Amino acid sequence: MRMTTLTKHAGLGVASALLVAVACGRQEAASPNKSAANGRAAGAGSGTTIVTPPRGAGESNAAPEMPSTAHVPKDLPIGVSPTLYAISVPADRVPTPALVALGDKLFNDKRLSVDDSTSCATCHDPKAGFVDHKPLAEGIRHQRGERNAPTILNAMFGATQFWDGRAATLEAQAKLPITNPIEMGMKDGDAVMAKVRGIPEYADTFRKLFGREATFDDLALAIASFERTQFAGDAPFDRFINGDENAIDAAAKRGWATFNGRGRCNTCHAGNAVSPLFSDQKFHNIGIAAHKQDFPQLAREAAGIVDSGNQKQIDELAIETKFSELGRFLVTKQVNDIGAFKTMTLRNIAITAPYMHDGSLPTLWDVMDHYNKGGIQNPFLDGGMQRLGLSEGEIDDVVAWMSTLTSDRFAALGKAEMARMTGMKNTRPQRDVAAAMGKKGDLGDIAPPPDLKVKNPASQGVFGTFQHAADGGR
Amino acid sequence: MRIHARLSIVAIAVLAGGSVALADDKAAPKHNLPTSPNGDLVVGLCDGTTSTTVRGKKPGEQLTPAEAKKISDELMAEWKRKNPATGASWDRETLVAQNTPQPGGNRTDTAAHGAGTPGPAGAQPSTGTAKANMATTTQRAQDGHTYGAFTTRDEQIWRASTQAFVDEGNRIFHDAKAVGGTIAVSCDMCHPNAANTHPETYPKYQVQLGRVAMLRDMINWCIENPARGKPLPDDDPKLKAMEAYIYAQRRGVALEYGKH
Repeated sequence: MRMTTLTKHAGLGVASALLVAVACGRQEAASPNKSAANGRAAGAGSGTTIVTPPRGAGESNAAPEMPSTAHVPKDLPIGVSPTLYAISVPADRVPTPALVALGDKLFNDKRLSVDDSTSCATCHDPKAGFVDHKPLAEGIRHQRGERNAPTILNAMFGATQFWDGRAATLEAQAKLPITNPIEMGMKDGDAVMAKVRGIPEYADTFRKLFGREATFDDLALAIASFERTQFAGDAPFDRFINGDENAIDAAAKRGWATFNGRGRCNTCHAGNAVSPLFSDQKFHNIGIAAHKQDFPQLAREAAGIVDSGNQKQIDELAIETKFSELGRFLVTKQVNDIGAFKTMTLRNIAITAPYMHDGSLPTLWDVMDHYNKGGIQNPFLDGGMQRLGLSEGEIDDVVAWMSTLTSDRFAALGKAEMARMTGMKNTRPQRDVAAAMGKKGDLGDIAPPPDLKVKNPASQGVFGTFQHAADGGR
Repeated sequence: MRIHARLSIVAIAVLAGGSVALADDKAAPKHNLPTSPNGDLVVGLCDGTTSTTVRGKKPGEQLTPAEAKKISDELMAEWKRKNPATGASWDRETLVAQNTPQPGGNRTDTAAHGAGTPGPAGAQPSTGTAKANMATTTQRAQDGHTYGAFTTRDEQIWRASTQAFVDEGNRIFHDAKAVGGTIAVSCDMCHPNAANTHPETYPKYQVQLGRVAMLRDMINWCIENPARGKPLPDDDPKLKAMEAYIYAQRRGVALEYGKH
């Protein structure tokens, strides 16, 4: 069915009817809504030798042009894809050491906040996996926002930034927390730059690097450049997939099979050697926000308030108000995006607890419990959500597998966090075995556990091996 | 090298029909190679009749790629001499398999680089970016349809992933060691650009096997017989990659199962 945008002018009655219609129509396959990316002619690839397909009349699946890999660093670790680097980092945004040094300093500088109390690193602590380990981020004067601070690790590869994708680039992202009233509290970009220009060391550095007085854009570029050095591979899983059978243990190997099989995790947490994030970078309603919200009512209210395209307003609604729970809807005002949040990368997931956009799940076992029962029912629940019927052993295995995605430089933190979460394993508020096993209504179709000696779901299709840019990139 | 040319008219299976008399439907026909008086290595062609002796090389000795190429060239030349009509067709096949790229038009999609591409460093407009970024993000990242909102980024990832798989197959196809053979013969020596592999004709009755086969079965037959390696399991990543490469060389060719 065709989804219709709620507009400011839609009366409550109309909006309500739409919401009901959408709820009823959820099982229908959404018609492909491919963007203008389709229907274009294929051009010659630059820097890569990829055969261009013959193009028939009216053909709409022409291959996309591939970016050059010439600017990709040659020394990326395994687990980091040169191809994804080429796709994500434009050639003119490859960070220079001087910009990175400036960005690093700014990232850790509390003077970027109105009362010198809060830096980017306050919530994205580099030593703690670039998170704060709090359910909700805390800004100036200990004010709490409505969202959990996501990690900066691999954020550079995101198709969008923030839980709802309201910023397209790292640069656009970097500005918003600085000027959010309860995060770093600066009034606006001008106020930030007036303060920064007053700090001699910055004034000099900016002038040297940009040849002009510092601007808010320059500041955002410096922070983004620092973030573009925070790629993170080098995990035990990466060595395993490149052929080292001893890199992960038997439980993690079983978990990898379940991840690709009965767990259905790979549908959204998609990963291969070319795109090793284990994230589709899409937005899904998995029911987390339904813990505390009546979505249709909230969406009706929001429809009258949200000014589509006003990024500043959406930022404040997302951080400061109950409308935060509407997720992607705040950005698109599309009914189908109500309560939908971005699929986060699973890389370094063991060191970034607590989980979900509101930090409401303290451990990876809670996350597994949430999915095992099919999420929380609500009219906008993603069609891919269904009970999984995983046993306690299978849950342990998938958690063990996730713990193999911790980069070596955070190995000690990963071990400590896994020990801490294991200690909490017997407190399981999200656990609902009856729902998971279909005793509360048989939603979805569940296969019996596979015989791994006959066929391992992880061997279906191809993951690929990690190539280095020096080998020609992929 | 000396070619043993037995003149029975057993044509190569991929080109001929199933007219070969078979003693047993279950057992694959066997090519009994002549022995060399000096105990030199004898290599057979897949037509079941042609073979060549590699002077001065004993079975089990290492061969260089150049020596292996010489073997395959000798055998192919002899086979073409014996089968002038189908021999010419083999060469034509090579051209088909090369699948010469068609010139495409120029892109018309001005937003080709997706939402994430900013302007030149330090030259971002400071006002209005937020709104502009939002509009682009909204359009390209996801707008209401979780499973239908595919972006250029998605398509680039799909394309690169598929190409990486095909490239890996290309590598193995040209690497006798990776195939696991013991006489340095690689697939491309007889099948340049995967010519005459006919992936579009499977499943079909395969004379060498005396039964109906899939492409992977024939790849394994070639690994065992000309290349003298151990067959790979059906889901071996190397076998899958070779299938990917072979199929990729035949884009646009119609499927015709059972064709000979």
